[in-house]
Amino acid sequence: MNEILAKVTAIESCDNLSVLALHANGHNMRLMALGLNFPLKVGSEVLLGVKSSNISLATSIQAEISISNQLSCSIESLEMGALLCSVRLRFGNVLLRSVITKASALSMQLQERDPLIALIKASDLSIIKIIDETKR
Amino acid sequence: MLNIEIQKTLQGSIGTMELDVKLSIQEHDFVAISGASGSGKTTLLRILAGLEEAQGEIEVGGEIWLSKKTALAPQKRGLGFVFQDYALFANMSVEENLLFAAKDKTLAKHLLQITELEELAHRLPNTLSGGQKQRVSLCRAFMRRPKVLLMDEPLSALDPLMRTKLQHDILTLHKEFGTTTIMVSHDPSEIYRLANRVIELHQGKIIQDASPKEVLLKTQGSQKFSLTGELLEILKTDVIYIAIVAIGQQIVEVVIDEEEVLRFEVGERVQVSTKAFSPSLSKI
Repeated sequence: MNEILAKVTAIESCDNLSVLALHANGHNMRLMALGLNFPLKVGSEVLLGVKSSNISLATSIQAEISISNQLSCSIESLEMGALLCSVRLRFGNVLLRSVITKASALSMQLQERDPLIALIKASDLSIIKIIDETKR
Repeated sequence: MLNIEIQKTLQGSIGTMELDVKLSIQEHDFVAISGASGSGKTTLLRILAGLEEAQGEIEVGGEIWLSKKTALAPQKRGLGFVFQDYALFANMSVEENLLFAAKDKTLAKHLLQITELEELAHRLPNTLSGGQKQRVSLCRAFMRRPKVLLMDEPLSALDPLMRTKLQHDILTLHKEFGTTTIMVSHDPSEIYRLANRVIELHQGKIIQDASPKEVLLKTQGSQKFSLTGELLEILKTDVIYIAIVAIGQQIVEVVIDEEEVLRFEVGERVQVSTKAFSPSLSKI
């Protein structure tokens, strides 16, 4: 599970459903969740989680797309398998991993140090924990 | 309003145990009592019914059922009791079983109508299925229009389809009669469907008192689909790793990263979680 530290900038709720606006490494992010029954408020620091298989990659984006989280990264390293490719990405001071098919990696001609955009749907992003200010 | 404050020393499998329960229940509430076996659930129910002695006080709507001076007899407590094993009179017909509790033919007919048992009114209990017997037992409990209904794992002996039917009947009767119902149950689906409050007992003490969703929904951060299992094996496939986890009677596979492999040990208890958006449902 990839981990990203972020700050909550807004909370919108409707019944049991919430959409959070967040800020991490100079990027605006959004997260969709059901029943946030823990003490979360604007300004809270949270640790976000996302599975490697839920991070898509793009070299550039021309059209408007619905994916809420578009993070500017660079390729730290590539591990090419028989069918899959595991890409280590640098996003500010954190490393993320994205697992894509080898065919995609080859057609995108991915190389180390290339700039990339990591794409994460708001529903694929979860809150692992709230960073308690008093314990920092 | 039910006010309960009771103590009793019980002989459990691991020595003596103090049952010590202090509890207020609002009128018309449906309360589920859960907890491991031997935690005192059934004893608490039997004390409420007056079938077992205890120290303390029980007050129901201003009436004293138990105090230092008095212990109201079970039949004077204005309650209904549904047991797991039906407890019907074998030599009496369905209707006679109901009329034995109270001689009110109109009410008996009405109850049998609600629970769709009318056609079986003249049958003897041993000619009925388990589900039918339990419906008769439920009807009988309502013959005295009880203020308080006590049920001890009423559906545990029934198949899933019959459980759903009986859950519906229980809820219909609970609402129609405005009863305050207290039910011992282990079954999460039953607790979720029926109860508006869950009391969890552990070694005779209340350890949780909240809504069914708060008690039953296991979460991991914002991940609402969370199950506990045992890590059986981690396999490397191509550039990814697959963790094999046993959950209940099933085995599931979870794809994990290289960094995570080092954090886990085969054989340890793990929580498998995902967001409520990810899993999909299909009919079996």
